[in-house]
Amino acid sequence: MRQIAHSIGRAATGLVEEFGYYLALTVESLYWLCWGAVRGQPVRLAATVAQMRETGVAAAPIVFMLSFAIGVMLAIQGIHTLRQFGAETQVVLGIALSVTREFGPLITGILVAGRSGSALAARIGSMQVNQEIDALCVMGISPVRYLAAPAVLALLVMVPALTLFADLTALFGGAVFCSLELGMSHVAYWDEAISFITVDDIMQGLVKSVLFGLIVALVGISNGFSVSGGAEGVGRATTRAVVLSICYLVLADMLFTYFLNR
Amino acid sequence: MNAVASEPAIEVEHLVAGYGGRRILDDVSMQVHTGEIMIIMGGSGSGKSTLLRHLLGLNRPISGVIRLLGKDTGRLSADERLALQKNIGVSFQGGALLSSLTVGENVALPLREHTRLAAATIEVMARVKLEVVNLGGFEHMMPSQLSGGMIKRAALARALAMDPKLLFFDEPSAGLDPVVSSELDDLILKLRDALGMTIVVVTHELESAFKIADRITVLDHGKVLISGAVDDVRNADSERIQDLLHRRSRPVHLSADDYMRRLTGE
Amino acid sequence: MTYKVTTESGFSIVHLTGDIDLSCSPEARKAILDRLAASQHTLVDLSGVTYIDSSGIASLVEGYQTARKKNLQFGLIAVSEPALSVLELARLDKVFPIHASVADRAK
Repeated sequence: MRQIAHSIGRAATGLVEEFGYYLALTVESLYWLCWGAVRGQPVRLAATVAQMRETGVAAAPIVFMLSFAIGVMLAIQGIHTLRQFGAETQVVLGIALSVTREFGPLITGILVAGRSGSALAARIGSMQVNQEIDALCVMGISPVRYLAAPAVLALLVMVPALTLFADLTALFGGAVFCSLELGMSHVAYWDEAISFITVDDIMQGLVKSVLFGLIVALVGISNGFSVSGGAEGVGRATTRAVVLSICYLVLADMLFTYFLNR
Repeated sequence: MNAVASEPAIEVEHLVAGYGGRRILDDVSMQVHTGEIMIIMGGSGSGKSTLLRHLLGLNRPISGVIRLLGKDTGRLSADERLALQKNIGVSFQGGALLSSLTVGENVALPLREHTRLAAATIEVMARVKLEVVNLGGFEHMMPSQLSGGMIKRAALARALAMDPKLLFFDEPSAGLDPVVSSELDDLILKLRDALGMTIVVVTHELESAFKIADRITVLDHGKVLISGAVDDVRNADSERIQDLLHRRSRPVHLSADDYMRRLTGE
Repeated sequence: MTYKVTTESGFSIVHLTGDIDLSCSPEARKAILDRLAASQHTLVDLSGVTYIDSSGIASLVEGYQTARKKNLQFGLIAVSEPALSVLELARLDKVFPIHASVADRAK
């Protein structure tokens, strides 16, 4: 009994510690992004741009494929369900709202966690193992400024951008299926979709995607920095980063959705 | 050439250090004078790497004081720490070159980050450093394309980038063939003589230690066995020091009961 | 570090004195490059140099490079002991024309 209490206690302190670390990392990254230039130690623009290309532009094709498929899938399921009420044409409402409010940000978030969260953890982790992080520290180059801040900024910008892209392609997927199945014209579909979607819906998705970007960045970076134990440690940290960030992402999504829709 | 004793470049007073409840350094005190080459020696597990990490400010001591170039490293503001770090160069055991940058960019990195020199000047400086360590013409290579000895020399070039007053060198000869490691020793001596640097080398290689040292500190089980001039260390009458110097293995003192208990795991 | 510029036997002479390090080498660099930009044959007098770091050395290298591009003469004179040992470390003592004095150079 005492042992159970003990391990629960340890897990709880571990969790608090981890979230404390995330908070500290956020604050320090923001500090360098805002004040680095004033202190004569700016966050490197080139690294940020490279990171944006890597996490954002390079992810666009796969985001396109997945969200197109999600759009088609929503259309299939929607039409199947609504047919029972003879209301197939209402499917556009379902697609439009679920994509912008939920699937766009979530699919993008999970994808970025798998692509960029793991890459961040692996890159920073192997730098930790090779003492490259130590080398940066003794050279007076803050690893947070040099490595973390560009990644945080890149993800904060690129995840919402990718989310908008995902929204559009998922809607497009729905349009393609609806035109084939229901003979609905693209123009009619888009007209209807646009009339249903409010600025609020899109904003809800975007706000969530900003949060998702932050989660992926923080979990990836902090798992990278805390690597110990050689190549095996890097592998463990990479896996952990992906699994944890997807878990946090889904949990955050649920909480956020709940509070936004009260 | 023996260094003139002047204001110490490094002072360690009663340093106690460890991780997670385990004590690795116990009441370590030592001094390194300006312009001398100090060798920190000890077997594996002696705490020499831990001492180096503390000297570099990578770990915080449990208690004790470390003063580098007269500055108490425990009480520095961020700006003071940065100013101190610009005067310190470190060459890590595995080189620790940033793998995403070329050799030249690695050497130029501290200059790009910390100075406002013209880009052309920085480039020439980086090339000069690479020439000093005999790596001229290799600036466009990636670290992964270099051999072990070249990586060590490139790491030394980066450590020298800011023309530091204090140079730390972790295991310069580990994993190198004797010729290359002897060349590195010569280079360390040249650097001290030409630039008047204070150099701290952590090593377990006796031969190179005696070749380049002005003074030697011997660590064992987290304590300083001796810290003195080369001859004092060579002639020390402590049995443990002589064991270390002559590579004698430690006699194992163990009672039969203890041994049985360990084997059976009871 | 301080510097002054004099003229002697057709050369502009930049006299550098004191410690030349990161904080002041841009000044030395500018002094040297300005002379060359004015198409003057230039010598750098290092007799008063107590310490020179690689940024100072790099400035001299840039000066020499510029001079060669513009077909001007460039050299070091009266190199002090500390400066010479740094030049030797970088094997630049074989590269720069080094002379004991201006008169020596002018010969």
